[in-house]
Amino acid sequence: MRRFPRFGSGVRDPANAAMAAVTVFALCSGVWLLRNGAETHAPPQPSAAQARAGLGGLAGERPAVPALPPSPPDRIRIPAIRVDAPLTGLGLTNTGSLDVPPAADENLAGWYESGTTPGEPGTAIVAGHVDNADGPAVFYDLGVLARGSTIEVDRRDGGVAVFTVDAVEVYAAKAFPDERVYGAARRPELRVITCGGGWSRGTGYQGNVVVFAHLTGSR
Amino acid sequence: MRRTARPLTATAFAVAAVALASAPAHGASADGLEVSPASVVPGGQVTVRAAACGDGGSATGDASAVGAGSLGLVPDAHGQDATGRFRVPPSAQPGTYEITATCGGSGRLVTGDVVVTLTPVRGQVHPRGSVKTGVGGALGPDPVQTAAGVAALAVAAAGGTWLLHRRARGDGI
Repeated sequence: MRRFPRFGSGVRDPANAAMAAVTVFALCSGVWLLRNGAETHAPPQPSAAQARAGLGGLAGERPAVPALPPSPPDRIRIPAIRVDAPLTGLGLTNTGSLDVPPAADENLAGWYESGTTPGEPGTAIVAGHVDNADGPAVFYDLGVLARGSTIEVDRRDGGVAVFTVDAVEVYAAKAFPDERVYGAARRPELRVITCGGGWSRGTGYQGNVVVFAHLTGSR
Repeated sequence: MRRTARPLTATAFAVAAVALASAPAHGASADGLEVSPASVVPGGQVTVRAAACGDGGSATGDASAVGAGSLGLVPDAHGQDATGRFRVPPSAQPGTYEITATCGGSGRLVTGDVVVTLTPVRGQVHPRGSVKTGVGGALGPDPVQTAAGVAALAVAAAGGTWLLHRRARGDGI
């Protein structure tokens, strides 16, 4: 017995209705995914407001606390940008620049193990990738970190060194202020470094985002 | 006093010069014991890493040559190389000392050198310049999202075709 087609009536058929819903949903999400996937996602860069204030600007910062004894770090956490990553030891490259952690592991940062350990007096240095070939990596959001944010470092002696961010700056690779970033400090300080400063296909990232922080607590 | 200070300073410079000439920041060799920093002042801390012991293996280290006794090497946070630390005694004399480690599993003996100097070299081994921490992988089109979008559109096309077929056959549409 042949039924005559009647436009619209078949949507009451549950199978047809389900298939129509699936089709519309797949169409919408497919278009959204293609549009979104084709966009570029440059990592956020620090604004002028995050930069180190003038010499007088350090007055309002939290006071430093007594330094901790040397102990190598195991892990870094920056809750404001949802970073929670293990730390591997880093050395120097042939040119004297800081080596970097293996790029394949997107949630791995490193520390300069021939230098100061985080929490003891001096400048401890942590570096991690902003991205790798597959996409964003551990310090992708470092550029949006605000002054006053907290950075926690788990130490192998079981303690946690707590640092407070003083400034977030971006420096061009051609004019990198070595002394300002790596130079010695009397109080316990921390630098967290990743790539930044614009990207071009020929030369890659133009510089580095550097977070300046100092020890304000421990537990 | 000045008469004794001058030869001492000269000795210190000579030791530091030898240390700089002979020891990189890491006393590393592929199958040996990595000692970091390779140059250290008396009282300083030294990290040793026995990559040769394999992933997850522990080791027993011996730094008694420099007067620091034995130390345990355990796999680091990533479960890879066995790593340990010791402190050079404040009374240690300048010179080159052999540090050894015995792998827990294989019993293999690995060695590395630590150079004790009177002048700190830390100030001379700050990193220089920018750090290569990105390749731009976050910037291009996202291949996963693009593939998912193509798959979703394929589903939509299949669904649309199925509905059109049912309508053409008169199955209720």
